[in-house]
Amino acid sequence: MIETHHLSKIYSRGLYALRNLTLTIDKAEFVFLTGPSGAGKSTFLRLLLLQERPSEGEIFVNGQNLATLNRREIQEYRRGIGFVFQDFKLIPSRTVLENISFVPEVLGVPAAQQRRRAFQVLKWVGLQHRMNAYPLDLSGGEQQRIAIARALVNDPVLVIADEPTGNLDPDLSLEIMNLFREINAGGTTVLVATHDRELIRLVGRRTITLDQGKIAELG
Amino acid sequence: MRAIEYSFREGASSLWRSRGSSAFAVLAIALALVVLGALLAVTWNAEQLLARWESAAECSVFLRDDATSEQRGAVEAFIDQSGAAVEHEYVSKADALARFKREFAELAALTAGFDDNPFPASIEVRLQPTADRDGRAEALLKGLAAMPGVADTRYDREWLSRVGGGLQTMRSAGFALAILMAVAAAVTVATVVRLGLQGRREELEIMELVGAPMAFIRGPFVAEGFLQGGIGAILAISALGLGFLLVRAWWGPDLAVFLGGGSVRFLPVRLCAYLIVGGMAVGSAGGLIAARHAR
Repeated sequence: MIETHHLSKIYSRGLYALRNLTLTIDKAEFVFLTGPSGAGKSTFLRLLLLQERPSEGEIFVNGQNLATLNRREIQEYRRGIGFVFQDFKLIPSRTVLENISFVPEVLGVPAAQQRRRAFQVLKWVGLQHRMNAYPLDLSGGEQQRIAIARALVNDPVLVIADEPTGNLDPDLSLEIMNLFREINAGGTTVLVATHDRELIRLVGRRTITLDQGKIAELG
Repeated sequence: MRAIEYSFREGASSLWRSRGSSAFAVLAIALALVVLGALLAVTWNAEQLLARWESAAECSVFLRDDATSEQRGAVEAFIDQSGAAVEHEYVSKADALARFKREFAELAALTAGFDDNPFPASIEVRLQPTADRDGRAEALLKGLAAMPGVADTRYDREWLSRVGGGLQTMRSAGFALAILMAVAAAVTVATVVRLGLQGRREELEIMELVGAPMAFIRGPFVAEGFLQGGIGAILAISALGLGFLLVRAWWGPDLAVFLGGGSVRFLPVRLCAYLIVGGMAVGSAGGLIAARHAR
């Protein structure tokens, strides 16, 4: 599913955010990416989302070399990925249902289909009763579940989460992780970046540890 | 099609959300179009008047006092055969004097002191509307000037050309001003739309990450500019219409005298449509400039 070969990201003044990363994540696998702050976890996810380009090496997703994609191909590639961030990134001026249906809407899906699919995933995360609420009226845990629902609305093959429990207490964190486990059980590849060692221990999945941009441990 | 529908829905809602700042952009476009529209109205009316004057062009052929009736007959025959005249009328010396006394009544007393009638006999020729453009009028006058019995000819075309030239200069200067104002209006639209764009950074980031097509990302900003331009243009035409009604109410009779019985008219529908399309184009250009920052 994801393969990198000698992948490096160098910022200005020769500073390596990632150095010589070679790893493989299989299809339908659930993998944690961990390490201390500044280890390069977010940079790796940004490269996967094509928000940045590698400085050296290659990165393949589903056999596609991300470095060779043009603008249209990048759009197509991103449609197969769901993303979840620590700060939720919900649109405050839209209702819960609109925040989710917004994704199929901007991909040109017909209106009735948008709402039906949005409601399905909202029901799946157990928040269908809050469909007309606004994000700021919800708790942190609820907001993250909405963000997960939004990530799933497009039936992605890969879900990427960057510190999805960073703003949540341990109980809610576990609840969110259980959602990711369920997503993975359906055959979707899940990659979660977190520095929460306890959570990783509780969930018990393969873990890749980064330190100063290099692989410290390939679980 | 969905991208267009989405763009207009989002553009309209953004326009409503930022209605305070959008009002500046709408006013800037309206102002530019009022200047352009007023200029078009003036030049269009002036062109209509010039065309009327051109179609009523006349020339005069003054005869020598000793011109014989055969010479006069030859002159009239030459005019008839030229194909440049619609009609002609002979004005005798006595008729010319009587006309002077009638048209300049306050100076009529002067004529009492004349030993002899100083006004020459003449033939007044009404020319075909196209005679000036195709050179027939000039050929006719050249021929008449060389004929025996003809003292002089007069054809006052120069002032019409001067008015036409002045009109052209005014139009060029006005267009330059309108273009300048349109650029300023587009920049204002771009600034206002870009302000709205800053407030929607997160939304745009999500759109990019889910792989939304560029038409969905940039479309709403172009649509917002388009709508601002359209509203500005409609405001401008309304303001011009109101101005036109006021001018006609206050100075209508005076203008009718100046125009020789004609009346000023508002811009034709075709030009109004051009103004609206122009406003929308300026607005869209501004929106497009702003949308380039939404990558």
